[in-house]
Amino acid sequence: MRALLNETDERLLIEAAQRDPRRFGDLYEGNFERVFAFVIRRVRDRDVAEDITAEVFHQALAKLQQFEWRGVPFSAWLMRIAANAINDRWQRTNREQELPPEEPEDAGVEGEIERRAMLSQLVDGLPADQRTVVVRRFVEARSIRDIAKELGRSEGAIKQLQFRALQSLRARMKE
Amino acid sequence: MPSTNVYEELDFGIEALMADAPPETEDETLRELLEIANDLRFIPDAKFKLRLMEELGEVSGGVDARALSRTEGDAGRSHSPLRDEEILPTLFGAGVNTYPVNRGSFVASYMGQAAMLALVATSGFWMVQHRTDISQQLTSAIKISEYTLPPSAEESGGGGGGGTKDKLHASKGDLPKTSREQITPPAIVISNTSPMLPVPPTVVAPQLNLQQMGALGDPISHVLGPVSNGIGANGGIGSGTDGGVGSGRGPGVGPGEGGGVGGGVYRIGGGVSAPVAIYDPDPEYSEEARKEKYQGTVILYVVIGADGTPRTLRVQRSLGMGLDEKALEAVKKWRFKPAMRNGQPVPVEVNVEVNFRLY
Repeated sequence: MRALLNETDERLLIEAAQRDPRRFGDLYEGNFERVFAFVIRRVRDRDVAEDITAEVFHQALAKLQQFEWRGVPFSAWLMRIAANAINDRWQRTNREQELPPEEPEDAGVEGEIERRAMLSQLVDGLPADQRTVVVRRFVEARSIRDIAKELGRSEGAIKQLQFRALQSLRARMKE
Repeated sequence: MPSTNVYEELDFGIEALMADAPPETEDETLRELLEIANDLRFIPDAKFKLRLMEELGEVSGGVDARALSRTEGDAGRSHSPLRDEEILPTLFGAGVNTYPVNRGSFVASYMGQAAMLALVATSGFWMVQHRTDISQQLTSAIKISEYTLPPSAEESGGGGGGGTKDKLHASKGDLPKTSREQITPPAIVISNTSPMLPVPPTVVAPQLNLQQMGALGDPISHVLGPVSNGIGANGGIGSGTDGGVGSGRGPGVGPGEGGGVGGGVYRIGGGVSAPVAIYDPDPEYSEEARKEKYQGTVILYVVIGADGTPRTLRVQRSLGMGLDEKALEAVKKWRFKPAMRNGQPVPVEVNVEVNFRLY
């Protein structure tokens, strides 16, 4: 998985993207899930999280030449951009309110972000029917009845696929 | 198999999660599944990921989201819902008339497809008419070495081939005498009928004491006539070169080169199955190539033995910067389920592509 890129590889990718912005895709691919997990954890709203994630990567691409390698992972730089973007948006939309207290970024929080980033990559590896059920149910928040109707299967069959998908993900997470 | 109750119980918990009222349970498995279900509510939408990738591509001038998804697909793990839903929409009716029709392109496409259909229909008809010829040609192409020569304890391998660039494949016949040296290459169709110094034609191979019963020719050929020296070159008989008999190169017999009797290995197809890699660790990157961010593909010629181990490794297409050596080093460790022919494992030659990519 891209998350396992070592420091040297990541540095090479950054330098390549600084020379040729078309190589930014590799950095995007390696960090997208992590940034989204970080953002949605703070804002708790999918539409807002998508807006902010898009803003983060557009800013990162625009400011890539300013990035200097100091031994800190590229994702940390992206998280800082994300945190600023969240604060800016909060100030724009809630002028009369105080900023929400920033939670301490302890190891538990970091673990949760990594876990969700890994989970979204594991979903890609599920069999097609299980993956479809997971996306409809959890990403699109649709009911079992809706999904059964769309896929032309019984509600029991959809619940069974849902169970198998979660079991499979649980097994893969423990590997 | 889990009971229906388990599915119901899990879904009941998920419904509660969706309503932001996580249920409490003492069942550890159910609790873990619900934790994963909760995390799944916060994973990104694959469509959004691709859309953003395309936006960034437009800004940066070329990051290609479709190429990216292909790369993931190659690793066998990416099947985004987007592709499930939107692949070939027009084919199934959605989005018809979305795109403007260019009359010229339409006519060209129509004509091209009509020509293709005509070609398919006529080639099928032609193949039925000429099935005997095709069968002969295919058979001679896929059998590597079935020369009924006794094996030599001292000299094996090698081989030879020949031909005089005739339009027809070499006709069937007996092998010429063998010798240590060749003065006159064998020929079925003799161009010089009055040589100044007549010397019997020979091939360079171990002493085999074969009887010449009739005309010279390629013993494994299925072409009974008309007589032909074959499509090879530089004298001799067959499809090879340089004065021997068969498909090899040199004055010997059969595949291989440099004289001797071709043993050779099989190639995939015509009843010979492909070997399957069962252990294929990735190659390491050379330090030099990593520093230069050098990427590409090394192609290796490899013979996979009947025991599934690779041998006779040779670089077919080099990449340099130490990556050839790394590719050889990795492929030497690979193990295969061997190629099979008539239920028996056989050695087979294959080309192996070793990709070096920096992610």
